Amino acid sequence: MKLLKYTIYRLLQAIPVLIGISVITFLLANLGPGDPVSLMLQGQEHSEELVRSIEQRYGLDRPLHERYLTYMAGLLEGDLGQSIHYQRPVADLILDRIGPTLLLVLSAYAFALATAIPLGIVAANRRNEPTDHASRIAALVGVSTPSFWIGIVLILIFAVKLGWLPSSGLIYPWRPPSSYPGISGHLELYYESIRHLLLPMIALGTLQMATIMRVERTQMIESLQGEYVKLARAYGVPERTILRKHAFQVAQLPIITIVGLNLSTALGGAVLVETVFNINGMGQLFVEAIQQNDYQLVMGVTMLLGVLFVVGVIITDISYAYVDPRVTYGERE
Amino acid sequence: MAVGESQLESGTDTVADEDDVEARVGWRYTVARIKQDTTARWGLYIVAAVLSIAVYAVVDSNLSLLTFGLLSDFTFARLLPIFDHPTYIPPPGEGTQHMPPYFPLAEQSWNPLPAGGTLEHPLGTDHTGRDYFTRIVYGTQVSVFVGLVSTFIGLAGGTVIGAVAGYYGGRVDDVLMRLVETVYAIPPLILIIVFTVFIGGANIWYAVIGVGVAFIPVFARIIRSRVLSVREMDYIEAARAAGVRDRNIIMRHVVPNSFAPVLVYATLQIGVTILIVAGLSFLGYGAQPPTPDWGQMLNISHGYMHSNVWLSIWPGLAIMITIMGFNLFGDGLQDALDPRIDD
Repeated sequence: MKLLKYTIYRLLQAIPVLIGISVITFLLANLGPGDPVSLMLQGQEHSEELVRSIEQRYGLDRPLHERYLTYMAGLLEGDLGQSIHYQRPVADLILDRIGPTLLLVLSAYAFALATAIPLGIVAANRRNEPTDHASRIAALVGVSTPSFWIGIVLILIFAVKLGWLPSSGLIYPWRPPSSYPGISGHLELYYESIRHLLLPMIALGTLQMATIMRVERTQMIESLQGEYVKLARAYGVPERTILRKHAFQVAQLPIITIVGLNLSTALGGAVLVETVFNINGMGQLFVEAIQQNDYQLVMGVTMLLGVLFVVGVIITDISYAYVDPRVTYGERE
Repeated sequence: MAVGESQLESGTDTVADEDDVEARVGWRYTVARIKQDTTARWGLYIVAAVLSIAVYAVVDSNLSLLTFGLLSDFTFARLLPIFDHPTYIPPPGEGTQHMPPYFPLAEQSWNPLPAGGTLEHPLGTDHTGRDYFTRIVYGTQVSVFVGLVSTFIGLAGGTVIGAVAGYYGGRVDDVLMRLVETVYAIPPLILIIVFTVFIGGANIWYAVIGVGVAFIPVFARIIRSRVLSVREMDYIEAARAAGVRDRNIIMRHVVPNSFAPVLVYATLQIGVTILIVAGLSFLGYGAQPPTPDWGQMLNISHGYMHSNVWLSIWPGLAIMITIMGFNLFGDGLQDALDPRIDD
């Protein structure tokens, strides 16, 4: 039950942050010089009256704080407003586009965790040996290379030069196979969707892999020096078991936090990777919204990305508390 | 980057309870350790090389502008990197060797897209025939300048907010930290683009400020966690008893004694900043053409992927090496400043 209390406490704590996000995005989007009305009319002949009626329709003639309160009231009902460029509800547009981004980000994390944890353990276990040095150099390169450039290089090698993998778009495994020409049956659908996902996944996941690997390595080194490992060794527990059970479990805790906090980099990186690979996700939607000066859409996407991050951090915090019995719930510092 | 942060935060609580630890702090010791540390040394070499290239590019581009009569005089103000500049288009038929193909701001030239490998164009030319090597070299100034200045903005803002929040605690702390968390929650790249476009329009100066503001939270959090332990120290108590004003206590005692871990973090942050700005420019919201900038060059070369592969390689390598330099140096500095690490 303590855990439930902690969960509620963390959720309550997130409320001011969420309100803060809405204020910041609202102010940024509404104080700027871009004028949504003239954008909508786009050089057409227009009378004062038309301008005024449009302003009235979108509530642009009212004072800022009133508009904010209306916007917030809408938010609580799940109404993110109307996209000016697309002439559709922002919420619908986001629902259309969130799937690819989630697919991309989650698979990038899966890739990062699946590679970084074994590599980190090996590096820690063979500290200061060539394997360790090699993996540290790899991690250094990983944190120093822009994700979009990794994407470009991957396309150049595997799509342009070798022609093995496609260079743009995704195939969504949740759609029926018949929606793609040339794909028959679910097996082929999954195969194609993996083929399309591979390059963007690596491009987005490399940075995560490198950061996770660095943390895994230091944590494992620290963990291997712990008293409990010494005790296990003294009892003659085989080194392999120590590595797998005793040292490993403790070392994984900080990884959970890193995964949560890095979500912000991953979501930002998704914008770039989606651009490189022409993926119709939230990132692309954001870029289009910015290009079209569609402030309602920009607000919606920014809000949602902020919320995704906050929720991600809460989930990791709670799972941390769940995994680590030493965590005291709800007390500050 | 959360990694360094968590390491720093966990590192601060257990400082100095053994005798020999005391002897391992201080500048002389730090410098000695940097000299010993291969990682830090290599980082320093790369950073020094990149900085020299940047300075060279600033001076050289100003001199070229002077030569072509685009600058009337050579003032100190012009020693800033060239961001927004008139473009020099020479009259037809005047394309001599030392003129525009090499001149990184030139808008047009005559023999677009030849491959590299020649003495004349070691890295080839871009789609308008400008020498790619020159543009890579000149691109250094934008990355380095943006990296340094926006990290400084983040550091300064974060130090003030973090120190005030940590020192006063209570409600001030609560309000400031919620604000910091809010800014932190929006992915930096997104925040910076919204800030740049809606406040100022795509322009490198707004990008610099935006990046700086977006990174205030990370610095504020580190400073705050340090200040929380520093403010309990006896010398702070003594200063307070002697009637020193809060502002002076914060500026003279609290901040200087909380600063070392932040400095390390700032070095690592320069790399992150350059990474973000490269992404920003790649999307078209950083430095605007014809200013040579690595991210923007990657954006343009993306369209010429099939005609010249290498155009997409060189700017990325330049970004990678620069960031790697700052990261190596930061890592080395961290080891050197952390008295607990011993190998």
